[in-house]
Amino acid sequence: MNASGIKFGLGVYTTLFLVFLYGPLVVLAILSFQTGPEGGPQFPIIEWSTYWYKHLFGLTPPSRIAPLPIDQGLGRSMLLAMMTMVVSTILGVTAAQAFRRRFTGSGVVFYLIVLGMMVPGVLVGLGMALVANTLGIERHWWGTAFVLHVVYTFPFAFLVMLAIFNRFDSSVEEASWSLGVSPARTFRKITFPLIFPGVLSAMLFAFTLSYDEFSRTLFASGRDLTLPLAIYGTFSVEVHPNVFAFGVLTTLFSFALLSVYAVLMGLSVRRAKRIAVQEEA
Amino acid sequence: MSAVLQLSNVVKTYGDLRALDGIDLSLPDDSYVSLLGPSGSGKTTLLRVIAGFEPPEGGTIRFSGKDVTNTPPHERNIGFVFQNFALFPHLSVYDNIAFGLVNRAVDPVTDPKLVDRKVRDMISLVGLTGLEGRATTQISGGQKQRVALARTLVTEPQMVLLDEPLGALDANLRARMRSELRMIRERCGVTFLHVTGSETEALAMGDTVLVLDRARIAQQGDSDTIYNRPCSPAVARFLNCYNLFSGKMADGGFATAQGLLGFQGQPQRAADPAYAIRYDRVDIRPAGAAVTGDEVQIEGTFIASEYTGSAVNAFFSLDDGKVFEVEAHLSHRAPENHEPHRRYALAWKREDALVFA
Repeated sequence: MNASGIKFGLGVYTTLFLVFLYGPLVVLAILSFQTGPEGGPQFPIIEWSTYWYKHLFGLTPPSRIAPLPIDQGLGRSMLLAMMTMVVSTILGVTAAQAFRRRFTGSGVVFYLIVLGMMVPGVLVGLGMALVANTLGIERHWWGTAFVLHVVYTFPFAFLVMLAIFNRFDSSVEEASWSLGVSPARTFRKITFPLIFPGVLSAMLFAFTLSYDEFSRTLFASGRDLTLPLAIYGTFSVEVHPNVFAFGVLTTLFSFALLSVYAVLMGLSVRRAKRIAVQEEA
Repeated sequence: MSAVLQLSNVVKTYGDLRALDGIDLSLPDDSYVSLLGPSGSGKTTLLRVIAGFEPPEGGTIRFSGKDVTNTPPHERNIGFVFQNFALFPHLSVYDNIAFGLVNRAVDPVTDPKLVDRKVRDMISLVGLTGLEGRATTQISGGQKQRVALARTLVTEPQMVLLDEPLGALDANLRARMRSELRMIRERCGVTFLHVTGSETEALAMGDTVLVLDRARIAQQGDSDTIYNRPCSPAVARFLNCYNLFSGKMADGGFATAQGLLGFQGQPQRAADPAYAIRYDRVDIRPAGAAVTGDEVQIEGTFIASEYTGSAVNAFFSLDDGKVFEVEAHLSHRAPENHEPHRRYALAWKREDALVFA
């Protein structure tokens, strides 16, 4: 096969791959514009409408279909994801910083940390529930579930930061020390700005993983439901296109988050170039 | 002259490897010291121990009268210029230079006007005027070198360690930076300890030259002494200007694979005996030429020669396969043409030979 043939083949393969990847999402998005309240979650589209979006926000006249119980769940999941993001990222950065030098038992500690993302979520969730019951600790999304979210996302943040530090040239830190700058200030002024793109990635990982975490939260969150649990709860009755509408909105939210990430990343990378451009102008 | 830095019996090991094996040295204040050593001799380790980046396993380091053996790097007031420059990539040239002044733990400069004045003075001293706003990725190697130096000098350290500072520059720039480094040092009045693997650089730059061999200081002296009277065969070998023959002392000379080689005076004491003759003290003659009484002569087969502009280096293969080098300075004589694969006589004066026994 010649080179252009290979190129064409790879192009077709990539297209199919993307279709496969985003097909389900597109179907969801289309069905979310089904008419309501009589339209169901299947083709064909009886009539195009934004009924289910209005339904989400309670803008439709009352009908037999109950509104999605998401308002509280959404707030909880957001807050939980934020808390998890902050704690996991701080832990990940500091742990990775510690691993820049080998210490006694560093091999064992490494695997213990990484284990947090390996063990099956349902088991950890169940285990946490049993431990909490035995010790008489009340289960809450901001307590037991939060701990599990950190255990789960911290290894991701840790591995991201480990990769960043692996490529980090520590002679800039030594240069700073030799200029009389203390190690703490060196970290703040030199190390942190240079690893910041990695920190952003770690934050993104922690947030998204926590935001839609299901299996660990299922047993550990107690009475008040997080967003994934609340949505799953509605499935047990009957599925309406309002879930799809909500899916589309959360996806848009995720894109917004990604855009913020991309902009911040671009700013930190481009700062140096911009200085150069000003100089030449 | 008072000693600014004193090391006694400093030891540093990496596992089984003794990177520094009992280093004793004393560096004078306000001078340019070059440290010569082949790669792997421990010279970078020595600098890193002096700077405080690596703790020594034994020995003491005294710096300007204080014991700094266990002092962290940022409290030593010793500057360090890295081989790869290690500029702060997220800061401009100006901010790189101002960084130490503003952020140091001891006596930071808080007055922006004073910072600005000091930074601008330093920028003009090292010749970076006009590049203040540039990113460190937008300047050439030589300019990076100057930023690295300026960033260190502006904090007024009592001593500056330079780890092969010219190694990353091309040959042309290297020659120019040599004289500039010396000039800048004289104006600042601090001690520079300049590590290099190049013997010409070490001899050209240093008021004092230290030779490091196998994790120990092999010789310390001025350039002239080091070049003309190396104290061991190892030092002579680093200088890259001596033909060395191993062998042993015998009646009436030094016995080598080339036969008995004569010399004058007393041999110097050294662990491994050797006979050394400088490249440029050898005369090339037709094979079988007559020898006067004060000369030594051996024979070799001409292989090739290398023209360097000011000199021609000719290479001969001796009977035991050893390569013998002869340097003929062109200011003394016109280049001679030698025929490959032909035997020539190589002669030198007995008094020019150095013998280690």
